[in-house]
Amino acid sequence: MLISIDTSAGTSAAIFNGEKLLSSVFFDDPFGHAENIAGAITEVLSQANVAANELENIAVGIGPAPYTGLRVGIAAAKALAGPLDVSLHGVMVLDAIAFSRAENRLLVTTDAKRGELFAAGYLGGKREFGPRVIDPASTAEFPEYEHVSEPADAEKVGRYAVWALENDIDLSEIGAIYLRSPDVTPSPGKRVSG
Amino acid sequence: MMQLRALSIDDLAQVMDLERRLFQNEAWLEQTMAAEITSAQTHYVGAFDGSLLGYAGLKVSGPSYSSDIQTIGVEPQSQGRGIGRTLMNELLAVAKRQGSEEVFLEVKAGNQSAIALYLSLGFEQIDVRKRYYQPSGEDALVMRMPISQPVVLGIESTCDETGVGIVRGNRLLANALHSSMDEHAKYGGVVPEVAARAHLEAISPTLDAALAEAGIGYQDIDAIAVANGPGLSGALMVGIGAAKGLAVALDKPLYAVNHLVGHVGVDVLERGAVEVPTIALLVSGGHTSLLLVRDLLNDTQLLGETIDDAAGEAFDKVARVLGLPYPGGPQIDKIAAEGDPRAIRFPRGLTLPKDLEKHKYNFSFSGLKTAVARHVEKLEDAGQEYSKPDVAASFREAVIDVLLTKSIWACEEFGVERLLLGGGVVANARLRQEAERRCQEAGIELRIPRFSLCTDNGAMIAALGSQLIMDGREPSGLDFGAESTLPVTTVQTA
Repeated sequence: MLISIDTSAGTSAAIFNGEKLLSSVFFDDPFGHAENIAGAITEVLSQANVAANELENIAVGIGPAPYTGLRVGIAAAKALAGPLDVSLHGVMVLDAIAFSRAENRLLVTTDAKRGELFAAGYLGGKREFGPRVIDPASTAEFPEYEHVSEPADAEKVGRYAVWALENDIDLSEIGAIYLRSPDVTPSPGKRVSG
Repeated sequence: MMQLRALSIDDLAQVMDLERRLFQNEAWLEQTMAAEITSAQTHYVGAFDGSLLGYAGLKVSGPSYSSDIQTIGVEPQSQGRGIGRTLMNELLAVAKRQGSEEVFLEVKAGNQSAIALYLSLGFEQIDVRKRYYQPSGEDALVMRMPISQPVVLGIESTCDETGVGIVRGNRLLANALHSSMDEHAKYGGVVPEVAARAHLEAISPTLDAALAEAGIGYQDIDAIAVANGPGLSGALMVGIGAAKGLAVALDKPLYAVNHLVGHVGVDVLERGAVEVPTIALLVSGGHTSLLLVRDLLNDTQLLGETIDDAAGEAFDKVARVLGLPYPGGPQIDKIAAEGDPRAIRFPRGLTLPKDLEKHKYNFSFSGLKTAVARHVEKLEDAGQEYSKPDVAASFREAVIDVLLTKSIWACEEFGVERLLLGGGVVANARLRQEAERRCQEAGIELRIPRFSLCTDNGAMIAALGSQLIMDGREPSGLDFGAESTLPVTTVQTA
């Protein structure tokens, strides 16, 4: 039994028994992550009629995605994993989006805010490059790729995690993927008198 | 219709009349009863039906986490109506709310109906005191009732400290902390995104550290508390996400509590009980707030706060002017020790007569910082040597003077003889020293919790959650969010 949690776009959770999706809950409010996270988890458990202590695995979307919301899902997943004593797996969300698609050659992009995109390229289901931050204009540099631009959610994250765990793909990295430094520069201090 | 209410000195005559009729030559003296009813450590309740039908008193000992039933008496012709039980239940609820882990009483060995009542309430006999009652010489049975207090885990992530604390009732079990202060040093102040990233990294290890320190497991936790404001939004959301994950995993109630009220309530972990009323001065890198707390959970009033920089921020900025590293407080404290606090008269913000109408209890430190910078720049431009210790000491004196002057004004205006300090700036040795001197002079009791409980910490969040539970409050819903400007009047977010 696996629960997947994702706050990379909206707030969502899904329960999988093996490959079978038992339930899925999605809140699309792009700012309500802290408010909705517990509701998503309790609701998806109750819809699947699964108790928290029946869970064996937790998969969480680790970005790249807007940071503030992304961290809520990861923090909740970490806190769930402690008392339940289950394994926590991190899913790079662009991998999850690519896995949901059938195309052979894919450029997956998501909104990185500030007029930029998070992007990764895939060939035959394998990541070729990324994740990285790109300018929207530079997607033109990938004419041979199918362009997919859609948000991730817990269903995609969960489906990918189930497959990845069966195929011994390493999901042990559970830190958030930021791709940008905190935008601050040390201030030299300024004069107050003219 | 019988009514239960707290007794006051106005009830003394009625209480003494009943006391003398009930206990005759063993009755308390009137002055003893008066002292008992008016003491800050006791709770006396009376049952009234027009006149007094019964009374009972409890004494709470915070430091020993215990309470004593001092006395109980019921009008002879009203006995057998459950009045004694009602009075006892009221006092036991007070004992629980005050954090007592056990309640003691003494009863005459021959008073079968009273003993039966106490046994049915959960008391057990633990001792006999021979010939305890005089002049009758009757034995007393000593009885004890344990009270189980909630084990609460609290999470703090409002600024740059990831804190996880665990309390049982008013007793501190663990206070684990991870600070990202060093990561902010190169920026000269707390950077919200840096703080939020650090919280996410630190949350699991800090949870583990707290449980290890308390020597308990997750299964022992009765409730979770989390600070949902005021603070940095992105930082708060990490703590909230983690708290909700824990609450769901453990299926335990969750309390969203106010960080600032947590700073005030933390003194219960030092004393075992909340002591109010108090004026509270909270000074840190993020806050400079003056509060009037009449009742921790029901009546906290913001008297004033900074209208620009927090006091801690002013220390950081002035440190930078003097070429000292971040955080500025300890650096300034260190060099100021060698300086003359009266060398330069820097301005005391919002203390002029014209300010007092609107800003009597507000603070402003941005003008002070500018004055220090101007002073230093002028001397440097002129190529003059100057004493950094003198500037630091004079600046520090100006900050401390304003903070304490206004705190003492508040104590005097509102007739409160207690001042509690909280927040990271309390680490400042000169602030503590001067607070002690001024409070002593003004006859005010000064409370400064140990430093690890003054700075941001999870224990104070757990302690406030615990207070709410002991008071019988309902948990928060699961859908609260981060409230970066949460007002101090909102102790708990529903």
